[in-house]
Amino acid sequence: MNPMRGSDDQKLDALFQAYRDACPDPEASANFMPNLWARIESRQSFTSVFQRMGNALATAAVALSLVLGAYMAIPRSNVGPTNQTYVDVLSEADAQETAVPVSLDYERPLN
Amino acid sequence: MLVDFELIHRAKKGDSSAFNEIVTAYRKRILGTITRLIARPEDVEDVAQEVFLRLYFSLDQLRTAEVFEPWLYRLTVNAAYDYLRKQRRRQEYRMSDLSEQQVVMADALAGGKAEQDEQHHRKVREAVESLLGGVSEADRILLMLKEVEGLSLKELEKVYKVNENALKVRLFRARQRVLKAFGSAEKKTDAGDPVK
Repeated sequence: MNPMRGSDDQKLDALFQAYRDACPDPEASANFMPNLWARIESRQSFTSVFQRMGNALATAAVALSLVLGAYMAIPRSNVGPTNQTYVDVLSEADAQETAVPVSLDYERPLN
Repeated sequence: MLVDFELIHRAKKGDSSAFNEIVTAYRKRILGTITRLIARPEDVEDVAQEVFLRLYFSLDQLRTAEVFEPWLYRLTVNAAYDYLRKQRRRQEYRMSDLSEQQVVMADALAGGKAEQDEQHHRKVREAVESLLGGVSEADRILLMLKEVEGLSLKELEKVYKVNENALKVRLFRARQRVLKAFGSAEKKTDAGDPVK
């Protein structure tokens, strides 16, 4: 078929058909399958490295959570309910903050 | 379908020999499609291997064996598209670009009809490559699948997972652009050296 006859649409169709004929399906080389499996195995080992890293990370996260949980669960001496009333606590705190009177030594000469 | 559903089910379950059979059944067709999509003979096997590699690692996501072929086409299109995006340049068929095997073949075609045929094929390839240089990689692939591979709109709908009307519009626009380039190329040819 001559692609140069007819309308542009027909010519283009003919050209595409000629292109199909000009590019037949090629045969695969002898190394096609071995190379494919080499790539698959390479990708698998790469993936498994990431999986191992992921597993290690997950295990570490669980262990850290357990340690933190245990730490939070241990009662500490200054934490917890007290028998003191609010007023007692306030007065105790106030007593600690009470200013000590300053004694001035008038006998010492000034520089 | 070039393989039966049972083979696909076996491959899905991790049967390597079933996967090998699928590759053997489809590799020639996939190689041919990629040849026409990327127009770079020396990279065709590499892209085809990428397609089957993706197939191997995503086979478990295939819902039913009935949609295997459109799905394989989708993987092919995606791999070709990724390749073309990486290349970002239109190919020229020069002797330096041909593989060693092709150079030997070209040399072997000394005189006679075979040489004339090869020359004609080369001209056709160059003409189509030049025409498709005016459209995007995505449109090039779509046009190729429709016009050269002969996929129907229904099949393309399954490959692209978009509705038929959207595909029609996109195809029409891409074809119009190619037609415009074709028309101006023809005018130039009429004015100068006619293409045979």
